Amino acid sequence: MDNSNVILSVKDLVVKFNLRGKVLTAIRGASLDLYEGESLAIVGESGAGKSVFTKTFMGLLDANGWIDSGSILYKGEDLAKYKTEDDWIKIRGKEFAMVFQEPMTSLNPLRTIGSQVEEAVVLHQGLTGEEAKQKVIEILDDVGIQDPERRYYQYPHEFSGGMRQRVVIAIAVACNPRILICDEPTTALDVTIQAQILNLLKELQKKYNLTIIYITHDLGVVANVADRIAVMYAGDIIEIGTSEEVFYNAQHPYTWALLSSLPQLGVKGQDLYSIKGTPPNLFNEIKGDAFAPRNDKALKIDFIKRPPYFEVSPTHKAKTWLLDPRAPKVEPPESIKFLRRKWKVKANERSE
Amino acid sequence: MLKYSAKRLLQSVVTLFLVVTIVFLLMRLMPEEGYFGEGYEKLDEAQREAILASMGLRDPIHIQLKNFYSDLFKGDLGESIIYRPKVAIAEILKSKIPYSVKFGVAAMAISLVVGIPLGILMARSKNQLWDKLGTGYIVFINAVPAAVYYLLLQLYVTDIFKLPILYNPDRPSSWILPAISMSLGGTASYAMWMRRYMVDELNKDYVKLARAKGLREKSIMVRHVLKNAIVPMVQYLPTSLLYTVSGSIYIESLYSIPGMGGLLVDAIQRQDNTLVQALVLIYSSIGIIGLFLGDILMASLDPRIKLDRKEGAR
Amino acid sequence: MANSIDKSIDESLFEFATYDEQQAEMTGYSNYSYWRSTIQVFMKNRVAVFLLFLMIGLLAFTMIQPFLPGQKSPTEIHIDENTGMQLRNHPPDKEFWFGTNSIGQDLWARIWSGTRTSLLIGFFVGLWEAIIGIIVGALWGYVRRLESTITGIYNVLNNIPTTILLILLTYIMKPSVFTMIFAMCMTGWLNMARFVRNLIVIIRDREYNLASRCLGTPTRRIITKNLLPYLVSVIMLRMALAIPAAIGYEVFLTYIGLGLPISIPSLGNLINEGRRVMGVPTLRYQLIFPATVLSIITISFYVIGNVFADASDPRNHV
Repeated sequence: MDNSNVILSVKDLVVKFNLRGKVLTAIRGASLDLYEGESLAIVGESGAGKSVFTKTFMGLLDANGWIDSGSILYKGEDLAKYKTEDDWIKIRGKEFAMVFQEPMTSLNPLRTIGSQVEEAVVLHQGLTGEEAKQKVIEILDDVGIQDPERRYYQYPHEFSGGMRQRVVIAIAVACNPRILICDEPTTALDVTIQAQILNLLKELQKKYNLTIIYITHDLGVVANVADRIAVMYAGDIIEIGTSEEVFYNAQHPYTWALLSSLPQLGVKGQDLYSIKGTPPNLFNEIKGDAFAPRNDKALKIDFIKRPPYFEVSPTHKAKTWLLDPRAPKVEPPESIKFLRRKWKVKANERSE
Repeated sequence: MLKYSAKRLLQSVVTLFLVVTIVFLLMRLMPEEGYFGEGYEKLDEAQREAILASMGLRDPIHIQLKNFYSDLFKGDLGESIIYRPKVAIAEILKSKIPYSVKFGVAAMAISLVVGIPLGILMARSKNQLWDKLGTGYIVFINAVPAAVYYLLLQLYVTDIFKLPILYNPDRPSSWILPAISMSLGGTASYAMWMRRYMVDELNKDYVKLARAKGLREKSIMVRHVLKNAIVPMVQYLPTSLLYTVSGSIYIESLYSIPGMGGLLVDAIQRQDNTLVQALVLIYSSIGIIGLFLGDILMASLDPRIKLDRKEGAR
Repeated sequence: MANSIDKSIDESLFEFATYDEQQAEMTGYSNYSYWRSTIQVFMKNRVAVFLLFLMIGLLAFTMIQPFLPGQKSPTEIHIDENTGMQLRNHPPDKEFWFGTNSIGQDLWARIWSGTRTSLLIGFFVGLWEAIIGIIVGALWGYVRRLESTITGIYNVLNNIPTTILLILLTYIMKPSVFTMIFAMCMTGWLNMARFVRNLIVIIRDREYNLASRCLGTPTRRIITKNLLPYLVSVIMLRMALAIPAAIGYEVFLTYIGLGLPISIPSLGNLINEGRRVMGVPTLRYQLIFPATVLSIITISFYVIGNVFADASDPRNHV
């Protein structure tokens, strides 16, 4: 991670959707700073708003959604104010590129994969004809597709899931973006392929100087690739910090619950931990901390007032009243205590 | 591709054979008067039997079938009995088919040229003005029987535009209204299907990816959605083309066009059994052949189709 | 750590709250009802609702019309009292609201009688198609041994053009209301059977049904909760669409000469009669009136049927 060179700054973003005539607030005032060259992972349950959040950066919200308030500052412009296609054309591909979750359906079945990658090359790299084709072959090679000259002419159904995902990544890379958003890039793939794709992304990041945002609900993926982790719950980022800080020194009860659910931290012979209850209904206005109803150690104030960010370190902050000096000391679950011990060990190592 | 074509060809031939046989058998139930023409009353039972026997209608069924098929392969469709007594049906057809095909193809061309762009327009302006207008048109054409709007068209449009009412080979202006009338149904179909396919495609993931790439909506429409939407439509084209042979019964009678449609009506009204049989067989076969050609066409355009497509799921 | 402390918050609020497990689960409640959503979506389409009421009104009217005062018989030939001649081609006036036809019959009465006939035919065709279609479809989908046979039969029969089959059947059997209903049923049940069969296959094999069966849900419940709502929707849709289709076929067959005998008024007959005199501008009403009534009926049922089909698709319940 480079020094504090913020390239994207999201402040108090509120995103709403119109469903069956009712309004759902998908993002409830989320803020995020993205540093150049880093790998940031956004984790959270399904429906937490991770995809929606990143789609706003590219204007890819569904037609029934809109940005209600907040700002998305990028290169001096507020993307939240963008309305027309002309505005977004400046952003899509050129600055931000996206890798989607479903490789099986992300490609046009009736066109060769070569032509689909070339489309991006022609659009964003200013090459045409034979030069463009050569570039495409070069990129296909970069993403690890064997025999690219021949595969250039093949159709998506002739590729396996993992290979298709590589093609999708090739298209994203061909756009020459600054920021790459990977929305659950490995969820639909075999475990064995997952590692390959993640490694590929790491290599490409180095080669093409990319800043990457990973969206995932899989903490294993996160551990592999992320410099920083942002934990999202009910449309808000409730904890953010470096990878180590969030894993070993988590502060928010939801993060505790999330980490405790990891099978790796389970004790043989005992029931696996699972978070009680279900995420809140986003059609209703939420008072206080959204996680409070599911937290058996919640404070009264958790139901009344929304917690602000409390800093744990210059790089680590969390939105929980537990960090207020007036809050009682709460014992985190066993598995978290276990991780905290490891944290102390690491801290000692570092100070030596 | 070759394997697929061969397989489909075999399926089509078998289906064709079955259908033709079933229809042939059904036709054995036709009322007897249809074999006689005017003389029916004057003949007595014995004479009638004799005539029927001479036509081979009293032979056992399998013999009749055998004769039927052997005649068929020789190109002999039998003779008309009442409509044009003793004239070979094949001859009659030869004189009529050109008219029907001419109008049919013209109508089809108009339908495609108007219908497909209309469908695209409707998909692009979904739920707005053009979509609503188009839908209104489609609903009207689909709900109201063709006979009715053809009549109304002939009634009022000829007045407004001072067009001739009946078809005349020498006056080109008399060709317009029949062709346009015939195209109305096709236009509605193509527009409806085009809109449906395009709307389906627009919801797909690869369109979202294209948008994320930075392509403009217009580019996406043309380069991705259009081709993908047209491919499934292509399978209907050969059948439609072949069906032009049958001619529109309504149009031909309304505008006095001496085509195949009128032939069928006449054959039925005069109860000319052999003619009715020949026509019915032709129309039954057209559908099967058209489907086969349509499938082959689709397979050549869609790289995903290699082998089996589930039947009954069309 | 320089965190700003909000002094305004009372210290006591930093005590533990009581944990309510019910609350934690409650947020996921859904009160979805299939029929209610279907009706809701349907009602949103104002055109369809309007046409629905129009058709209900029309249906009611056709039933009671003969019993209203001052209505004439559709077959009675009216004679002019003064001249003793048939009141032919009499234009619409106070006596004969729609005028008379070429032999002096009251067009108003004929149109409503014809509407009754056509609606009757359409209704019965829809009903019988549904019955036969469901039986065949159920066998097709449920009894695995019969599956390939019926599929084969379906594939062959599907290739015989409907119009041809109709023409054939009415040609062979003499024209009558029964013939018409029979012929149309013969050509229509195929589609219905396929719908039903697809539904049953879905019931059998969809994962949520396998899951239900694993959990021990009795078949009866699976049928009533999953199959029946769709089935009823499909039946209602088919019946609604059967009416314009039946009218269409009837007009077609009448045109060719295989329609109902003229002693039975039907919309098809009336259109034909109108067609014969359409060359004379003053007599055009004989075509316009039946054509208008027919158009209104067919369009209404078509729209109602299609909007209902869309509304009953759960995907449109958003």
